[in-house]
Amino acid sequence: MAVKVLLIGLDGATFSVLDPMVARGIMPFLGRFLAEGARANLRTIVPPLTPPAWTSLTTGRSPGHHGVFDFFRMDSPESRHIRFASSRDISVPTIWDAATAAGLRVTALNFCLTFPAPKVAGYVVPGWVPWRQLRLACHPADLFDRLKALPGFEPRELAMDVKLEERATEGCSSAEEYAPWIEFHTRRERHWFDVFRHLTDTAPSDLTAVVFDGVDKLQHLCWRFVAAEPGTVWEHEWERRAHELCLEYFRQLDGVIERMCSIAGREATVVIASDHGFGPTRQVFHVNAWRERHGYLTWSKEQLDKQEEGSALLGVGQVARHTFLMDWERTRAFATTPTSNGIFIARANGNGRGVPEAEYHSFRQRLVRELRAEKDPATGDALISRIDTREEAFPGPFSSLAPDLTLSLADGGLVSILPSDRLVSPRPAVAGSHRPLGVFLAKGPGVRPGADAGELSILDVAPTVLYGLGLSVPADLEGRVPEAVFEAEALKRKPVRVGAVAAAVETPAAASYAPSFGAAEEEAVMKRLQELGYVE
Amino acid sequence: MRPARDEIEAYVFQLLQELARDWEYSTTVGADTGLFSDLGFESLDAVVLGTAIQEHYDRPMPFAELLADVGQREIRDLKIGELVRFVETHLAAEVQEA
Repeated sequence: MAVKVLLIGLDGATFSVLDPMVARGIMPFLGRFLAEGARANLRTIVPPLTPPAWTSLTTGRSPGHHGVFDFFRMDSPESRHIRFASSRDISVPTIWDAATAAGLRVTALNFCLTFPAPKVAGYVVPGWVPWRQLRLACHPADLFDRLKALPGFEPRELAMDVKLEERATEGCSSAEEYAPWIEFHTRRERHWFDVFRHLTDTAPSDLTAVVFDGVDKLQHLCWRFVAAEPGTVWEHEWERRAHELCLEYFRQLDGVIERMCSIAGREATVVIASDHGFGPTRQVFHVNAWRERHGYLTWSKEQLDKQEEGSALLGVGQVARHTFLMDWERTRAFATTPTSNGIFIARANGNGRGVPEAEYHSFRQRLVRELRAEKDPATGDALISRIDTREEAFPGPFSSLAPDLTLSLADGGLVSILPSDRLVSPRPAVAGSHRPLGVFLAKGPGVRPGADAGELSILDVAPTVLYGLGLSVPADLEGRVPEAVFEAEALKRKPVRVGAVAAAVETPAAASYAPSFGAAEEEAVMKRLQELGYVE
Repeated sequence: MRPARDEIEAYVFQLLQELARDWEYSTTVGADTGLFSDLGFESLDAVVLGTAIQEHYDRPMPFAELLADVGQREIRDLKIGELVRFVETHLAAEVQEA
């Protein structure tokens, strides 16, 4: 058996970084890949965020249809319980499911929301799983022991360490921490390559897919080092070193991609794609502070008094800290997570709190109007470039679980959801943040060499992968096989086949805890909300 | 038929003992072992463990609520014995509902 499709995920990759890396000779293989293959900008979904975006990439469906909007998820439209999203929240079939149903083998490594692992014929090592629990997450059950026997296997570096993840958004606390942090990500990609090589050498899968997420992490924390112009003069030696190590990361990544393509062989279709793009961010918009000023949110004084001084930004492990700071008696609009730039409107439940149903649309319109009018105090420019309602951004059966509003900040960054005296804070240094345009590259049989397909949708990746596997494309996928990527003759020889609509996937986790709040239960829920930081 | 407490206990002990070996934790895991205090769990570890247990029994259980309750305690910890009782209670509830 041979690899038919090799899908290489580069989390957060953007051509504004990759093209200069190629031009400077840091990624020579990628340069050859582009010359022999096709490229396109890849427009992601709203919001440009890892879990919903990778889920759209691997399902060909938008968030309103697949049901994933963030790292976290409300248990139900009425609930204020938040929990981590898992693979059980994906409500449509994935490319892993489609390949498995067709009798093909699948290897999926480091993809977000693949825990609990899909029961594929092949291997799954999920991403975003803490290293201590990696054994539980691997599929099949004996895979972890097999990997553990590999020379140099180090689960602590392969899987997630929450404290290290948080640095990507919160920053290193000292200059000395940058170099080891960057080197750690360079080693991590080598570990994922070792796992890929072992599995592909011993039992190759028709569909083999690996995500390298260091691209995203480095660009978050080290944007100024990654995107620096050649010849930049660094004020400090540690900055020069951090810059060099970032280039080394991309140099190594290029080598890893080359070796993966070589192992997959020339008959494999290779697709390289990112879940979103990246760009600089220089400031933080304190969105809950804005709501407080406008009377939409009230902090609990009792809880605020207990707080310690901390960062303006939240990491994944700290989401709880802000939620129990709110006075839920008087809060009508709130942001629950620092990741999605989403605003939820508290709906009235017959208990006198929140926004009554009859007033919802006018309340939301007022919120939109006021947010659009908000200016950067320093420059007078608009703070928010775009606001999507849930109907605009998330049409589909799961729309009611989505934020009521999703903001795109003019700065391109993320909001802070913690209390603040200021609406806008400058970042200590330029950082990186997600952007809508990621990358798509493809090479292999039938792919038009040197083609530039302009702009594709992230929803086009799943159909392209299924096509590469020789499978039909379910009629309900929202993307398409991009014809500009393939030679006309190849499409004639192997036409795109449209298949039946895929059956929806049962999502027990989503359905199970939809609490129906009576007035009496509300008190208990609110009390629990104080501690809903089970991620704490 | 729902599993007896000793079966659940055996499964949870074995699961954690196996995991603990990966962390080079040498002490035997028992009912009085604290997930956070002794095994050094962080919140995400507990979330993943809860998900794995639900998968094993093919039954959703309100782990988020359990951990929220733990968070309200003066000493934020969860003994393995308590975890076993939690699983037993919710598997029993399933049988009653059926």
